[in-house]
Amino acid sequence: MTDKSSRREFVKQSAKVVAGAIILPNIIPASALGKGGSTPPSDRIVIGAIGTGSQGMSNMRDFLELKNAVQFVAVCDVDSLHLAKAKQIADEANKNTDCRTYGDYREFLEKEKLDAVSIALPDHWHGIIYTAAVNKKLHVYGEKPICRTINDGKTIVSAVKKNNIIWQTGSWQRSQSHFHHGAELAINGRIGKIKYIEVGLPDGGKGIGTPPVKDVPAELNWEMWLGPALRVPYRGVAHWDWRWILDYSGGQLTDWAGHHIDIANWGAGLEHTGPVEISGKGVYPLDGIYNAPVEYDFLCKYANGIEMRVANAARLPHGMGATWYGDLGWIHVDRGNRISASDSAILDEVIGENEIRLYKSDNHWQNFIDCVRSGKQAIAPIEVAYRAISVALLGEIAMTTGETIKWDPDKEEFIDNARASKLLSRPYRQPWQLPAV
Amino acid sequence: MKKQLLLLIIVTGLLSFISSCNKESGYKTLIITGQNNHDWKTSSPILKQILDETGLFSSEVMITPDKGGDMAAFNPDFSKYKLVVLDYNGDSWSDKTNAAFLDFVRNGGGLVIYHAADNSFPGWKEYNEMIGLGGWGDRNEKDGPYVYYKNDQLVVDTAAGPGGTHGKRREFIVRTRVADHPVMKGLPARWFHGTDELYSLLRGPAKNMDILATAFADSAAGGGTMRDEPMLMAITFEKGRVFHTAMGHADEGGGPAMQCAGFIVTLQRGAEWAVTGNVTQEVPFDFPSAAGVVLRPDFKEITLEEALTKLGDYDIAKSTKYLTCLQSHIRNAGGDVGKLLDLEKQMVTILTGKDATPAAKKLLLRELSWMGTEYSVNAIKGLVTDPEVKDEAEYALARLQSLK
Repeated sequence: MTDKSSRREFVKQSAKVVAGAIILPNIIPASALGKGGSTPPSDRIVIGAIGTGSQGMSNMRDFLELKNAVQFVAVCDVDSLHLAKAKQIADEANKNTDCRTYGDYREFLEKEKLDAVSIALPDHWHGIIYTAAVNKKLHVYGEKPICRTINDGKTIVSAVKKNNIIWQTGSWQRSQSHFHHGAELAINGRIGKIKYIEVGLPDGGKGIGTPPVKDVPAELNWEMWLGPALRVPYRGVAHWDWRWILDYSGGQLTDWAGHHIDIANWGAGLEHTGPVEISGKGVYPLDGIYNAPVEYDFLCKYANGIEMRVANAARLPHGMGATWYGDLGWIHVDRGNRISASDSAILDEVIGENEIRLYKSDNHWQNFIDCVRSGKQAIAPIEVAYRAISVALLGEIAMTTGETIKWDPDKEEFIDNARASKLLSRPYRQPWQLPAV
Repeated sequence: MKKQLLLLIIVTGLLSFISSCNKESGYKTLIITGQNNHDWKTSSPILKQILDETGLFSSEVMITPDKGGDMAAFNPDFSKYKLVVLDYNGDSWSDKTNAAFLDFVRNGGGLVIYHAADNSFPGWKEYNEMIGLGGWGDRNEKDGPYVYYKNDQLVVDTAAGPGGTHGKRREFIVRTRVADHPVMKGLPARWFHGTDELYSLLRGPAKNMDILATAFADSAAGGGTMRDEPMLMAITFEKGRVFHTAMGHADEGGGPAMQCAGFIVTLQRGAEWAVTGNVTQEVPFDFPSAAGVVLRPDFKEITLEEALTKLGDYDIAKSTKYLTCLQSHIRNAGGDVGKLLDLEKQMVTILTGKDATPAAKKLLLRELSWMGTEYSVNAIKGLVTDPEVKDEAEYALARLQSLK
């Protein structure tokens, strides 16, 4: 009767005829079928993927495990082997061979009519591609950290606001109940007033020295992989291990900021602000192409008096995870369902209906789909993701400059520090630039 | 005089100034060697060099009589020294010498126990108390417990069994256990040590002892206890302080265990702590990390001057350690505009010089992009037309001019 139900019929029909090897027309995005341009609470979301390496594929699988949630119709990657694998799992799920492939996100965004896109790229590409996708009014499931520089992050945040799309950051710890419980106890004063927070993240591993320059493998578009980053010769390092190289990542610190710093902010009510003073030190490899700090230890002071120490886990009494210290006790949360407190009775506390109730989600990918359907904000929206990675990026700048730096979290500017301010953005290699919002 | 010098170190941090001073100005240090199941002829001059390199110590090496020789002839005047370093594993000394040595430590003399010195004097009760833990020489449960870490918990284990073993030599990770001890302050939590014997199953009285660092003796790496074994220890013995390093097995030229920057620097720091109870030395930029072993084949830290000279020759197949050295100086300037400008000028000199390689210019342009000032702008403008460094020159200019 409605467009919605006709599409449902259409999808069913398609599934039946695929056995007869009939060539199918393009899938019509759900949004195109809604009334008055709104997204109907319907059917499977028509989605694409940009970046189909290990994390991108992992996200595709997580979406496909959901019941009738998504249909991947197009995938994009600069590595043709990644692309072929992504197409294969999309086609298997769709029971056809129609998933389209792209080597250039610009063509992907131009040609595809989608509801949403799942993006998992090296951090140096986030600024451009997140902004471009959001400018196309696509709902985005975007991997953390959402930016390599503060300036990239500000641009993405404003693009999301302007285009009014649903954004879900891959900070999936928010959708695990023990992290939620710990944060809810902390923010409701069960350990008293929060004074101090420790965030423990992994340290970096053994370097690989300076490998010789190699021929770029046929499947990889190295020029496109580098994109806005300065051109360097290919040395056999691209996928996954980009995260140990400062041109593309800040190392474990920025890789994990979107997890435990995010959780720490959540439980301390810091997810819409930033520190006012940052100082600390990193431990850097002596040489080699992996140049991100292997250890780091910095202190952030907030306007309300809270202090947050972020360090590699081996330096902290609770190791990995987030620990909130209040004037009445502490609570620690980490992966593997780990939650503990200065007094275990704290963990049995029940949060009342009139207290602060934090957003609850049991499945991070389902939450995104639900929100695309309902128009409700997802559990890990762009602003809080930006504030989580900001802490790490500010720490990185403090360690790089060796200075105690003062930050205005409202204006998002350093106070009177030209050197640090230059590190808020990176010039992009021609012809790349951040899209206008 | 010494107090004044120490003050100068604290106030100015200019260790290099001290090292250029009269050699007699440092803490007088006696390195005792002459008998050892290890190559003491190699290790002892290296120990001297490592200590004297800091400018804090003025060391001399004293060689005991050979094994079976007349120990009555070995009779040092300990009162002349602030620090004694033992690279000795051999015959007992005379009672008189033992008593003088005990007096020295009891009354506040500093002591460094190096590697196999913790094998020595198994029957000497006070010596075992000084070293905290020892091995071999028929040490067993009568001498005290095994002490180690297991699952990050300190274990004092009174089980019967021999003291001292090591598996196959290997590189291993050293893990800090007391991060706020003066010797350890500012060091990484984990760092790679050069190929060495990983002393294990040490046992002893372990009184007044902090285990500052441990290493995991992984059985998969050629024999090991699967325990985190003590590598660096700090012991107090009455008024004296003892720094004990189980590392540093000497191969030809010192080998990777002695050339390891982690071994060198912890020895230097431990020796200073043994004398004063404090450490004034900065952690050098080349202290190793979990990223890998760092060797100093000549036992010296690279100076800024040397780094800048070598940096100009950089090509993409070479080590970037000279850049890392420069970056550490930029960080250590801590925002001091004068120091930064001084560095910037030296960087621009290389950048505009005839001899710098394009690869070197690229590295310098990346650094100047954020820490540079107006001083660099013209020099960089001149490189925009150079096709080999154009991208980096544009990058640097865009950043330097972004805030105008």
